[in-house]
Amino acid sequence: MTLLLQGLALGILTGGLYALLSSGLSLYFGVMRVVMVAHPAFLIVAAYLTFTLHTGLGLDPLLTLPITVPVFFVAGVAIQRLLIARLASDTMAMMSVLLTFGLALIIEGLLGTFYTGSYRSISMEYATQSLALGPVRLPYDRIIAFAVAAVTLGVLFAVLRMTRFGQALRATIQHPEAARLIGIKTERVTGYGFGVGLATAAVGGAVLALITPFFPAAHWVWIGKLMAIIVVGGLGSVQGAAVAALMLGVIESLVLVTVDATWATMMFYIFLFLTLVVRPQGFFGGRLAQRF
Amino acid sequence: MASETVLELREIEAGYGRAALVLRGLSVTVRQGEVVCLVGPNGAGKSTVLKVASGLLAPRSGTVQLSGADVTGRTPQALLGLGLAHVLQGHSVFREMTVEENIRLGGYTVRDPAVLRKRVAAVKEIFPVVGERWTSIAGLLSGGQQKQVEFARALMLEPKVVLLDEPSMGLDPKTTQTVFDQIDLMRQTGVAVLLVEQNARRALEMADVGCVLDLGRVHISGPARDLAADSRLGALYLGGAAAREAGEQSPAAGQADVR
Repeated sequence: MTLLLQGLALGILTGGLYALLSSGLSLYFGVMRVVMVAHPAFLIVAAYLTFTLHTGLGLDPLLTLPITVPVFFVAGVAIQRLLIARLASDTMAMMSVLLTFGLALIIEGLLGTFYTGSYRSISMEYATQSLALGPVRLPYDRIIAFAVAAVTLGVLFAVLRMTRFGQALRATIQHPEAARLIGIKTERVTGYGFGVGLATAAVGGAVLALITPFFPAAHWVWIGKLMAIIVVGGLGSVQGAAVAALMLGVIESLVLVTVDATWATMMFYIFLFLTLVVRPQGFFGGRLAQRF
Repeated sequence: MASETVLELREIEAGYGRAALVLRGLSVTVRQGEVVCLVGPNGAGKSTVLKVASGLLAPRSGTVQLSGADVTGRTPQALLGLGLAHVLQGHSVFREMTVEENIRLGGYTVRDPAVLRKRVAAVKEIFPVVGERWTSIAGLLSGGQQKQVEFARALMLEPKVVLLDEPSMGLDPKTTQTVFDQIDLMRQTGVAVLLVEQNARRALEMADVGCVLDLGRVHISGPARDLAADSRLGALYLGGAAAREAGEQSPAAGQADVR
């Protein structure tokens, strides 16, 4: 029973992190039907940048965010304007897979050149301790990761719901032509939307660096899991992906403590398969979520 | 005294990509407080006229004039600021947003909250359903209600001319009547309307001027009620007098129904 409780608690914390890591992918797809295979590669870039700023300047990983988040936002806008915008809109999903797959390979190669292929990690003293809640022990690094994810997603939802930019972005997602006809500069909004998506990778990468060792090819571990999450959640729905991330995080963790690690990872693909068979538009994307 | 010309398309030639021309020398004039209705078989180029007028499609030749100024090739955003609104075919509400969010987005370019409040109050008065369903998710409204939300959203910037692309599409007869009543209300407020309709006879009964399109140009035009009674209208829909005259058959001629 204690083991199950421990698994449940860790699953919720991990699910929160998954929600943050997948939020960018949902935005890219929602805004312009882009399947951004390179998103996890940017997570790893952010982890390395955090590592460099931590070892070079002695900054706490979370204090690197005021530097990395704006850099990633600008990089996102540039990628959208210079690369994605050149793809034909009627084949966007397919061609964006190829384009961003290439981008991921280039990033992996560059990281290997600059940092070598060795594992890197950031070890903070506070991250090695844990909080005891009755029989359950929660590592502080996981609690911090969950808290950062919750705050970031809260800010993201607030931006999407309450700001003029957020309204314009949601309108562009739901009906680009109608959005243009009410005066929204959809090209600009789309670029900023992409920038916001990549900015979430800056936060995600800093958190990843705090809780797990990383290496240039580590992004391949993440892409399958994150893609499964956004499909189960409902492609293009940030809220749907957040719910799916929490659910799959808990299931993974419970299977991990009761069966084994292989089956725990397999759960993502089982749910991906079931979703595509039973409900291709995803389970949590709202009543009006777009079909795949 | 004749009303002021609000929108004028002259000798427009336009098409999509490298494909053949859809519009071949089309000219249309819309005056203040007037409903001009474009009818014609499928493929005649009716929706393309609206896309050219609103800047969604740049013409290959010809001019678009708005209140006397040449606006050919200007973006939809620029034309919106000059007083032209376009309501698309089918449903174009932001489906996952509330009616309130949809209406407020209609005033996206209005920065003054007081002006925005005034415009919201005005469209709520013209379209009561907007106020009644203010907090509802727009995508869950009936087809007719969604269309009224789209009309209201288009009027948020107090346009001089509104382009309506098949507003009765997919609606039952009773709801269609409501939609036509709302178009009449727009006319009464002084707004000019360029209307594209498949429901030809019904639209011509309420419009001031009718233009029958075929093969990318205006084939017949005149007072809408006279046109509704013109036997050539039925002939055109049923297989194309104009097509025969032009020496080629419109690919979709005869598919449209005259109701």
